[in-house]
Amino acid sequence: MKNVIEVKHLTKSYKQNKAVDDLSLTVKEGEILGLLGPNGSGKTTTMNCILALLKFDDGKISIFGKEMAPDAYDIKAKIGVVFQEVAVFDELTVYGNIDYFCGLYVEDKATRAQYVDDALKLVGLEDNKNQYPKQLSGGLLRRLNIACGIAHKPKLIFLDEPTVAVDPQSRNNILEGIKKLRDDGATIIYTTHYMEEVEILCDRVIILDHGKIIAEGTNDELKALAKIEEKVTVEVADLSPKQLSGFEKIKNVDAVSYEDGVLKVVFGKGKNNLAEMIEYLKSNRINYSRIFAERPTLNDVFLELTGKELRD
Amino acid sequence: MTVSRAFWKIALKNIGTIITYTAILVTFGTMNMSANNTSLQYEARKPAIVVFNEDENVGITKSFVGYLEKNTEIKPDYKDDDKLKDALFYEQVILVLEIPKGFHQDLTFGNEPEIKMRSSAGYQAELAKVVVKRYLTTATAYAKLHLSEEELAKRVDATLANETKVEIKSKVDSAKYGKATRYFSFANYTILACVITIICLIMISFNRTQIRKRNLVSSIEIGKMNRILLKNCCIYAVAVWLFYLALGFIVIGGEIMLSGYGLIYAINSLLFCACATTVAFLISQLVANQNAVNGLMNVVALGSSFLCGAFVPAEYLPDSVLAFAHVLPSFYYVDTNNRVMNLESFDFASLWPIILNMIILVGFTVAIVIVTNIISKKRQKIA
Ligand SMILES: Nc1ncnc2c1ncn2[C@@H]1O[C@H](COP(=O)(O)OP(=O)(O)O)[C@@H](O)[C@H]1O
Ligand SMILES: [Mg+2]
Repeated sequence: MKNVIEVKHLTKSYKQNKAVDDLSLTVKEGEILGLLGPNGSGKTTTMNCILALLKFDDGKISIFGKEMAPDAYDIKAKIGVVFQEVAVFDELTVYGNIDYFCGLYVEDKATRAQYVDDALKLVGLEDNKNQYPKQLSGGLLRRLNIACGIAHKPKLIFLDEPTVAVDPQSRNNILEGIKKLRDDGATIIYTTHYMEEVEILCDRVIILDHGKIIAEGTNDELKALAKIEEKVTVEVADLSPKQLSGFEKIKNVDAVSYEDGVLKVVFGKGKNNLAEMIEYLKSNRINYSRIFAERPTLNDVFLELTGKELRD
Repeated sequence: MTVSRAFWKIALKNIGTIITYTAILVTFGTMNMSANNTSLQYEARKPAIVVFNEDENVGITKSFVGYLEKNTEIKPDYKDDDKLKDALFYEQVILVLEIPKGFHQDLTFGNEPEIKMRSSAGYQAELAKVVVKRYLTTATAYAKLHLSEEELAKRVDATLANETKVEIKSKVDSAKYGKATRYFSFANYTILACVITIICLIMISFNRTQIRKRNLVSSIEIGKMNRILLKNCCIYAVAVWLFYLALGFIVIGGEIMLSGYGLIYAINSLLFCACATTVAFLISQLVANQNAVNGLMNVVALGSSFLCGAFVPAEYLPDSVLAFAHVLPSFYYVDTNNRVMNLESFDFASLWPIILNMIILVGFTVAIVIVTNIISKKRQKIA
């Protein structure tokens, strides 16, 4: 597969503060690449550098095999951007806004009308097309923002935290829409600080912290980086201190906690952990109502790599 | 072109502003305001006076009364003194004069006779007194030639008849152009209001950081986009100008608008529209909040209209205000309108002050463009 974007040794500082620090990445054609990191980790700055909106201190950026520059209009014509902050005209209707931004790329009237309709459908704003942005809820406004960014059917799409402060219904709509864009052949860079979204959506993930890449790979590859194998949760009504300390002696167990009738046991690398756990419960005649195991999340990976939670 | 389309859609959303200010212009700009120039009212209404003639109605006294009859409205039926006082108070009568016994002899021998006058309070009384004084001054001047009373009366009559005619002619003219001047000077307010409001709202929309960023990553060249915006702003300003010019045809009439006077009004207002456009651009660079536009526009439009005599004639403004007004483009715009009203002929000497005003107006426009450019360059560097 071709590389759509190649970034080599990108460095960008604001005075003393290194917002992006020697960052190299590639984006492959047809994939959704997730840029995951807490607030202030440099996601937006990276994106703005790639888009030639910001001058950077060092590094090389090429898109579609050509060097990116502020006047590289042929490259820009194939790019769609959805910024973190909503960028729409309050004086134009939903339709008018999408039509304006689509019109920056598409001159032909009939084509544009078709594209605008497609975008409205994709984000589910057909019923709101004659409303003004001020009349839309936060979630619908974000959807409009997305429609404005992608209506011209770009080959490469940048989305910067498009689901911040959005209701669950709009979030699902947005994530579905993005998948559909990928299935229609677009390459997508998606930045977020929600690891759940990355797990659902992204083919490949880059985890950022303090402007540096701390991990990179598919969801599974990243989870393999975690030292824990799985987390087992058991609902037990009653446990004596002796029974509790017994759990720590099970093979591979890293940590045990018990609170409000919920027992949590973290297993390190190894096989058959859940089976051993059930065996132990049986042999000690401990009654439990429910038991389930979870794979480590990207949050666990981040926690292990940086010593802090992803979301704070 | 998508940028132009958005431009006019936003302009159309604010059409209410244009309608409002146009209504204000038609209502107030064509109204004959009481504070307006006095010659107009003199023409419209001769001062009402009451004459008590103690002298015989012969010779020069007869000529004097005849002059008064021509130039004032003599009210015959105020004999009662109390009634007369009331009439003076309510300005039904402006001036009361008593021609003393022996008036005609005194005057013929070159002694300025004493005439008792009582007047009402307003400026009309001063005007009526001037009318009376003019006769007396003329008559005493001729009396120095030691003419016979008959000859004296003849000469004074002839002189005053001529003079009066000339004066009335020039007054008719300024009354005729007074309305046009009033309309175009008042338009100072409406032009500024319409041009600043709409252009600022549109430019601020396009200048918002989010929109700018979004436009910057698109495939449209940013310089081209700025040119399109600028072009549409100019088209809009010219449209405003044409609109007010067309409206001028309706309220002022084609006779004036199609004359040389009309041409000066038209050129002057076009130059002013251009200047207003640059002011609008400057404001849109300084202000990022659309809610602030209306307040700021009112400060600029109302303030300059008051200070520069667009509402109230400049003669009525204190010197300090007028001195300050010289730094505002509106002053030169309004001044030109006032000069057109009193323009007697189209020779270079008469036109020169007007041309100078126009050059100053263009100078302001160029200066504001330069300042706006510097500010916008600075702003882009920061962003
Ligand atoms: N315009 C700016 N001026 C100074 N510092 C900035 C600016 N923009 C971002 N930063 C800093 O750069 C770092 C990265 O910010 P950003 O790229 O916005 O992070 P993210 O998008 O991941 O939340 C932060 O420390 C932030 O404070
Ligand atoms: Mg960000």
